[in-house]
Amino acid sequence: MPGVIAAFHELDAAVHAVEALKKERFGDLTVYTPTPHHEFDEVLARPESHVRRWTLIGGIFGCTFGYWIWVWVSRYWPLVVGGKAIVAWVPYTIFGFEVMVLIGSLATVFGMFANSRIPRLTATVGYDPRFSGGHFGVWVETTPDRADAAAELLRAHGAEEVRSER
Amino acid sequence: MATTAAPFPSGEELRPNVASADVHFPAIKTYEQVDEEIINTLRPSLAWFGLLTLAILALLIGAGSWIYQIYAGLGVAGYAPPVMWGVYIVSFVFWVGIGHAGTLISAILYLFRAGFRTSIYRVSEAMTVFAVMTAGLFPILHLGRPWKFFYLIPYPNWRLIWPNPKSPLVWDVFAILTYLTVSATFLYIGLIPDFAIMRDREKNPIRKRLFATLSLGWRNSDKEWRHFARAYLFLAAFATPLVLSVHSVVSFDFAMANMPGWHETIFPPYFVAGAIYSGLGMVFTIVIPMRKYFKLEHYITLNDLDAAAKMCLFVSMVVGLAYLTEFQMGYLAGTSFEQEYWWNRTFGQWWWAEWIILICNCVLPMSLFSQKLRRNPAWLFILSIFINIGMWFERFTIIVPTLSHEFEPWQWGGYRPTWVDMGILIGSFGWFFMWFLLFIKQMPTMAMTEFKELIPARMAKSHAGGGAH
Repeated sequence: MPGVIAAFHELDAAVHAVEALKKERFGDLTVYTPTPHHEFDEVLARPESHVRRWTLIGGIFGCTFGYWIWVWVSRYWPLVVGGKAIVAWVPYTIFGFEVMVLIGSLATVFGMFANSRIPRLTATVGYDPRFSGGHFGVWVETTPDRADAAAELLRAHGAEEVRSER
Repeated sequence: MATTAAPFPSGEELRPNVASADVHFPAIKTYEQVDEEIINTLRPSLAWFGLLTLAILALLIGAGSWIYQIYAGLGVAGYAPPVMWGVYIVSFVFWVGIGHAGTLISAILYLFRAGFRTSIYRVSEAMTVFAVMTAGLFPILHLGRPWKFFYLIPYPNWRLIWPNPKSPLVWDVFAILTYLTVSATFLYIGLIPDFAIMRDREKNPIRKRLFATLSLGWRNSDKEWRHFARAYLFLAAFATPLVLSVHSVVSFDFAMANMPGWHETIFPPYFVAGAIYSGLGMVFTIVIPMRKYFKLEHYITLNDLDAAAKMCLFVSMVVGLAYLTEFQMGYLAGTSFEQEYWWNRTFGQWWWAEWIILICNCVLPMSLFSQKLRRNPAWLFILSIFINIGMWFERFTIIVPTLSHEFEPWQWGGYRPTWVDMGILIGSFGWFFMWFLLFIKQMPTMAMTEFKELIPARMAKSHAGGGAH
């Protein structure tokens, strides 16, 4: 999908440009910021991240697996040690906890990757290296007939550079 | 209309001695300055090559000692009945402990929104990973046949060998491996946006390619930040109880055994406090010279050191309380075994080690009640060396005096480390510092993106009254 990309040097200019684009019903916007800025959260009103579901499922699975593996091992090869039951729940809680943290953490990372669509190893349109430095970027995905209007609006709000990409 | 962040009021008098979440870096003006100054620290220098050579030499001493030990057998390591745990297990507990401050600073202080964390957390996280990597070597070094270390991992095998899940040594394997994996993941996730910055600034095509791969195509989009922030929060939430659990599990190695001086319910919190304390000591040892060498005094400010020193003082008092509680438990235990053990440890055979820890860990840190000393980097560095020494000896006094003074007189003995023990100990420092020195010249030692969060963004219109954040 083609679009227009703009680089802003100032935060407030970028925020106001995004507000104006939303008002003009340019739907598919991506904002690039060198560091997270909550001002854009308010304007873009994105839904809550789904990473938490990955964390929850990973944690539950890890905890269950941590207990299960040792229950299975204990039943498969019973060892009576220290007067404890063959399946001793209290010491196995350590495994339940550790594996919950392990799998829960890894699931969180995979959740972040899946939701953020990374790793992204191919070149992509709509990005400029300045956006990791000190500039704020706005990428508007739009049809060619509305590209000029979007570019005009971005310039009017103080964009340092505006260009079309496809 | 959306609110926008505004610069801090310029004329406001800042309280210099109060480090809080509301931190200020008056000498850092722009995002570009952050990138430039932190990336500049990555240029290798002659001094860095010199230190790296020293670290590798130390590692070679350790490797040589280990090769000799494998050839000659574990007897060359100074083990003699009844003391069959010595420098290796002492160093294992020491290095696991060093790792704890890293996660405390990066995860727990993140959840508490402590602003001074930003300056030191990346270094601390890296320290955690390398310290746990070092710690993980010691149980293997301690094995007579180190190539069979994987017997502790439960998996179906033709030998029909299954580890005992009620043994603290097996709990340790799980705790340490989980800790290493989660700490390394936490470090890497925090580095991704910084790798993207370096990818976008790098001129060398090979390094550019490397950073492009490491950054996973990160583009700083609002969608990526949204998921990143949530994932980072959950990782911090997982890492926090993990910090407490890992050293608790390490303490079970001792507390589960029915031995004088070990079989105590205070051990888990005592070990956790000690771990955090020793880690803070190592953070000072690393950060203070690094701050001076890289000329980063305006990033790692005196306020940050002051705040970290206050935390160090608090933890030293917790550790001191744990020592006193141990003495009291020994005295009130009602058995002559415990009482004799404590007498032997404090005034008998091991008095010198006990008094080293009391002076290094409890007496000297009291100097941190003085604000002048808390804000004196040279003193903090000297103190940190004493804390490192004190905490190594703390683990020594936990392990060796118990084994050398069990229930019956025929079980009493001594312990003298050999040159092999010392060689491997020196090698462990070489291993740790080799990785650390390689890290500080390949990856940013401070989180560039997080620093940018702490300085006001550039605005088109001035906000005289301050803006909403």
